Amino acid sequence: MSCEELLEHYELYALGLAEEPERSEIRAHLDRRCAACECGFRQALGLVAALSAAAPAAAPPARLRRRLLASVGVRERHYGWPVAWAAAALLCLSAAVYFSGRERQYAEESLRLRRQLGDQTTELHRSQEAFVILSAAGATEVAFGQGQPAQPTGRVFINPSHGVMMIASRLPPAPAGRTYEMWIIPKAGAPRSAGRFQSRNDDTAIHIEPGPVDIATTAAIAVTLENEAGAPQPDAQPLIVAALPVAGR
Amino acid sequence: MPTMAIEVTGDSGDVLRRVARRDGRALAQLYDRYGRLVYAIVLRIVHNQAVAEDLVQGTFLRAWNRAQIFDEHKCAMGPWLVAVVRNRAIDFLRSQGARDSRPALVYENEDPRLCAGLEDGILFAEQTRRAKQALDQLPEVQRQAIELACFDCLSKTGMAAKLGQRLDTVETSLRSALGGLRKAMEAGVAE
Repeated sequence: MSCEELLEHYELYALGLAEEPERSEIRAHLDRRCAACECGFRQALGLVAALSAAAPAAAPPARLRRRLLASVGVRERHYGWPVAWAAAALLCLSAAVYFSGRERQYAEESLRLRRQLGDQTTELHRSQEAFVILSAAGATEVAFGQGQPAQPTGRVFINPSHGVMMIASRLPPAPAGRTYEMWIIPKAGAPRSAGRFQSRNDDTAIHIEPGPVDIATTAAIAVTLENEAGAPQPDAQPLIVAALPVAGR
Repeated sequence: MPTMAIEVTGDSGDVLRRVARRDGRALAQLYDRYGRLVYAIVLRIVHNQAVAEDLVQGTFLRAWNRAQIFDEHKCAMGPWLVAVVRNRAIDFLRSQGARDSRPALVYENEDPRLCAGLEDGILFAEQTRRAKQALDQLPEVQRQAIELACFDCLSKTGMAAKLGQRLDTVETSLRSALGGLRKAMEAGVAE
């Protein structure tokens, strides 16, 4: 038979449904490598494959893959549930340690920021107090330590309505367990404590004592070095004495 | 109803060369690519999961043992695997009795040389969708004949008995259906 006569029988042959004599004829053509019949048969194989692929979807069990690979000597690593649970537990533990560390880090950072905010609030409050003392009417300014190179130097601002502010330099930080204390020295009677303070590392200090001050009865503003708890009355010689000008002079 | 198709992943030529060098991981890749398709086809034919698993394993082992020949002939593995698993399924059904109701085994289907030049693309989603569409558009009696031939692996005698039709009617239906499908697929290729 000619190739043209076999044209419509290739699919039937590929499906195993060709009858005689076509079946023997196609087999003979393929045996002698007839190019036309090989081409037609290939197309028939493709059609059968494409039709077969229209079968309903079905997933093979996982064991089939393992079985196949084991049969050619391939052992894929298969971790059982205990290993999976152990890995999960390790992961959870690592996460707990990690997040615990992060939480501690955040807590420390939060504390640092809260302290910083507190310091800045205090500083702002002091600045507001200083602004009030300096800007309000009736403030008196007194310099101290001028022309005495070894002594603390600075200025004292006294506002009768709002308080006293001292700005000093060349005042080294107080030794351990000691503190500076400012005093309002009246013309008559005992000195009144005007608060304790520390100087900075650059030997400067600003101290503010809010509250009304009677300039008329005040002789001077002084600073002594006292024990950390402070003292009811000055125990030592004053390091700073800012004498107020005598009225009418 | 969802059907099976393979995804276009990796270089199948490279996988085949590695299988030929007895690389077990390449066989795993080959299985990952075609395993679902081959299993779905054979399960539809034999309707038995354990038998289907045995036949799939045997088919891939045959590929493993003959990979050198496939590589030489640049054989398209997808169509070849489908042909082999169909043959094995038909062989199994014939062994179960009533051989007259089953088609003949066609060993040329498994000849790697005859699969050379076939495109793996015949099994890609677009091609299988076109085949399914063409199948669905056939007259009912023709579609039934094709399904009995492809999925139930019945001989013409078996089909005639199943459909309650004369043998020559089945023959006519089959030839008309296959002619229609051939034209539909050729039209798809020409597009």
